[in-house]
Amino acid sequence: MPPALLTTSLVNTIQIGSLYALMALGITLTFSVMKLPNFAHADYVSAGAYAALIVSLSGVLNPFVIMAAAFIVGALAALISHLFVFKPLEGRDVSLYTLILSSFAVGLIIRYILFLMADYFNLFDLRIAIPLRILFREGSLILSNLFAWVVPTSIVLVIALTLLLNRTPLGREMRALANNTSLARVIGIPVERVKNHAWLLVGGLAGVAGALWGMQTAVSPLMGWAAVLSVFAAAILGGLSSFTGTILGAYVVAFSEHTVMLFLNFNFGVDLAYKPAIPFIIIIAVLLIRPRGLTQLIKRGGELQR
Amino acid sequence: MINIDIGATAIAILTLFGIYSLMAISLNLEYGIAGVPNFGQALFVSIGAYTAGITYTRVLPLLAGLDSVHPCGPTMGQALQLRSEIMAAQPAAGFINLALTLLVAAIVSGAVGFTVSYVTLRLKEEWFLALVLLVGGETVRIVVRGADNLICSHNGISGVAQPFYFLGDARSSSLMFMILCVALALIAYAYSQRLTRSPFGRMLKALRENEDVTRGLGKGISLARAQIMLIGSAIAAVGGVLFALNTGFVNTNDFVVNLTLDIWVMVVLGGIGNNRGALLGAALIAILDRFTQVAAITLNMSGSEIEFNYVRFIAFGIILLLMLRYRPGGLLPESPLTTNAHEVLRRARGAEPLSRRA
Repeated sequence: MPPALLTTSLVNTIQIGSLYALMALGITLTFSVMKLPNFAHADYVSAGAYAALIVSLSGVLNPFVIMAAAFIVGALAALISHLFVFKPLEGRDVSLYTLILSSFAVGLIIRYILFLMADYFNLFDLRIAIPLRILFREGSLILSNLFAWVVPTSIVLVIALTLLLNRTPLGREMRALANNTSLARVIGIPVERVKNHAWLLVGGLAGVAGALWGMQTAVSPLMGWAAVLSVFAAAILGGLSSFTGTILGAYVVAFSEHTVMLFLNFNFGVDLAYKPAIPFIIIIAVLLIRPRGLTQLIKRGGELQR
Repeated sequence: MINIDIGATAIAILTLFGIYSLMAISLNLEYGIAGVPNFGQALFVSIGAYTAGITYTRVLPLLAGLDSVHPCGPTMGQALQLRSEIMAAQPAAGFINLALTLLVAAIVSGAVGFTVSYVTLRLKEEWFLALVLLVGGETVRIVVRGADNLICSHNGISGVAQPFYFLGDARSSSLMFMILCVALALIAYAYSQRLTRSPFGRMLKALRENEDVTRGLGKGISLARAQIMLIGSAIAAVGGVLFALNTGFVNTNDFVVNLTLDIWVMVVLGGIGNNRGALLGAALIAILDRFTQVAAITLNMSGSEIEFNYVRFIAFGIILLLMLRYRPGGLLPESPLTTNAHEVLRRARGAEPLSRRA
């Protein structure tokens, strides 16, 4: 594999991996605190991307404003799905499969509402057009200001989320919920309020991920859904419980999708059409062989931890 | 407005009803009766469809005594013409091919289902099985889409004709095909009713309710799970063969997660754990599907900007959410299981007979 290709694919790995981390942390947080494998998470991403696209089309090109809009829409989508779908079901103590099915249904509804809207206003496959500048050029490797937006923003958000979880009262309460919901209720943690805040946070981060994603590729109603299994693969590599594991998992998934795939393509002639199968193989292998994910390698797994 | 041909609409709906019933009965046996969360139904349906794609292009010409033409690439048109000529002129070859397709599809799919349930025994948490099946279905889809010589990768194979194509008249051939679909669905229904009421079926329900107790009673639960996966997957593959024959082409794009969700909607709508519910759910979804098609075309012709096909998916999501929240048992909830002996005993004691729905 030529070195130029290698560096480009590594840059892609970092860029996509940062976005995966942002989304996968949401899935890990939902699973730990709310005990729900949320397949609608991907569609909060698409909703956020559309919010960002509409703001950018209205002429506002400041990335902070765009991301704020995406955060609000993603957070609202998550909160509404919690209040109207998941909370009533949790109250009835239904089986996990009912929750999984309803998360699929929520995702389906959001996705096709976006489809209807995109179809009506002709919003298919547009990019969030923040002005592009080339920051760095070395041979075939070109880094634009896009890289400077996507990677640092994701990393700052991931660090902020980790700090929030480990250093603030809200984070402590969320971890208490993750550990034992009944016990948390008994010692007087306002469970419902903490859950609402967690949903807002999770949805908002998904929305921001959508905005960042839409800056580098085209926005479409399927963009989140198309990535959902890669993101789940990252969260599963983190054992669905560990933050560090999830972040590492996100970069592992991105690395195998970009660098490893290119390597296989270049050296063994594996068709690039098989790329989407990589996260699936990761999921199946991890669940079968090492169900606690990378955490098992780092330290004891189990509860939500830093 | 377009004119709606009532006869043709009825035939189309009943054909869909037959195909959907097979898929719904399969999922109901697996999840409704035995509690195996099969989120990979699309995989088992697609095995049937891919088998049809392969036999129709490779086996059918051999049965007709002709050389087969490679179905993909430059000879695609030629192969398609060869298929339709054989289907029009040699009905016997068509029927033998169909029987072979159904048999091979059921065996392959059953074997896959059986194997998967053993491989996944190691899984730590129950819902991981749902995820593995979901992801496994997608993996197979991507591998088949990438493999050029199976069903022409992403182009798919068209011209998979119905077995009654030789009748010439479109109306009577689709009528006969409808009868075939409904008949197979009713056979599957009768079989699954029998199975549900058998000692094996009662053991599966016990397994669904409490695994440890069932194991404690000395039942081999791994084998039971594998067996029901075998039966369910085989039925789903039969549905897949008919699905391919009905649409006339085999393409990997038809077997995405949305298909799995459609089947779940049927079972949840009809009634989880009730075979009659599976039939009812399949019927309702078949009607809804046909209605959306007609509405989408009508709206499109009247110059409306709204793409009605998207509304179908929103409606499906809403139906699923409403059912799960307000009628988790479905329209026809599962009722207590009764056996003939049980009924006789109750009657001898002078008690009211229990409802025989199960």
